[in-house]
Amino acid sequence: MIDAAAMRFARLDEWTLASLFKALASRFGGDAASLDEDAILRLVEAARAGDRTAGQRLYRQYVDRVFRTMRGILRSEVDAEEVTQDAMLAVLTSLDRYTPRAGTRFAAWVMTISVNTARRRFRRRRPENTDPAELQRIPDDATDLERDADSQRTSAALLRALAELDERDREIVSLRYGSDLDATEIARALALEPANVRKILERTRVRLGARIELLLNPNGATT
Amino acid sequence: MNESELTSAWTALEPTPRQRRRIDARVRGWIEARDSSLAAEWLGLLKFNPVTGLGFAALAGCLVLLATPLGWVTFSIL
Repeated sequence: MIDAAAMRFARLDEWTLASLFKALASRFGGDAASLDEDAILRLVEAARAGDRTAGQRLYRQYVDRVFRTMRGILRSEVDAEEVTQDAMLAVLTSLDRYTPRAGTRFAAWVMTISVNTARRRFRRRRPENTDPAELQRIPDDATDLERDADSQRTSAALLRALAELDERDREIVSLRYGSDLDATEIARALALEPANVRKILERTRVRLGARIELLLNPNGATT
Repeated sequence: MNESELTSAWTALEPTPRQRRRIDARVRGWIEARDSSLAAEWLGLLKFNPVTGLGFAALAGCLVLLATPLGWVTFSIL
């Protein structure tokens, strides 16, 4: 009887905690579940008509994606944070100018704005001179204490491997794996030929993957 | 590494909760400032200031009387 009561209490406790976390996530803008393209376009229409909740939902759909893509392209956390802010603001205030195009998702428009924001910001000050050794220190910064150890190791290895690529290749792989854009969408965002993007993606995926594996397992053990 | 492993690796670059809160706060601040400045502009157009408003109305009336034939006729009668 005591066991049954304890189980009921534990289940209630679990439910309460789950609800509490859900409420907190909602309060602090926790990432919303990924929506399909039709739902996204309905949100865009509602946000254009002045629905602030729709605008907030669109923001939550893309803010993390924009940040991780920019973090892959740029060489500093601070730059990625600032570009994400500017880009999300530009997206939310330019929704009236968005025109859906066949074969291109809303995410591609968001990422095109983000890449252009980064390029405008660093037209004069290219973030190219960062010492790769500095990238190794990034996860030890106070700002990253909240990340778990595995995530920090992966992040450090990925950033080091990305630092060895040229700017164009970094943009292409970041848009592919950070934003889940396909080669055609990437080609449109960067004004390149889709065939060229496919070729670069294939070559860079192999190189990047091998480098990350080597950085994560320097003794050659496979994951 | 295959496609899905690379996609998964990129999730390690997501903002920390603290970074995310900073981004949220700044974007929210800009949006609210933009909304309130637009609202203030509209309210400013509708605002009625009785003292200044009546002063301008009296001045405009005098100018009409002084600068048009209606005013000249009125002054000649007086």
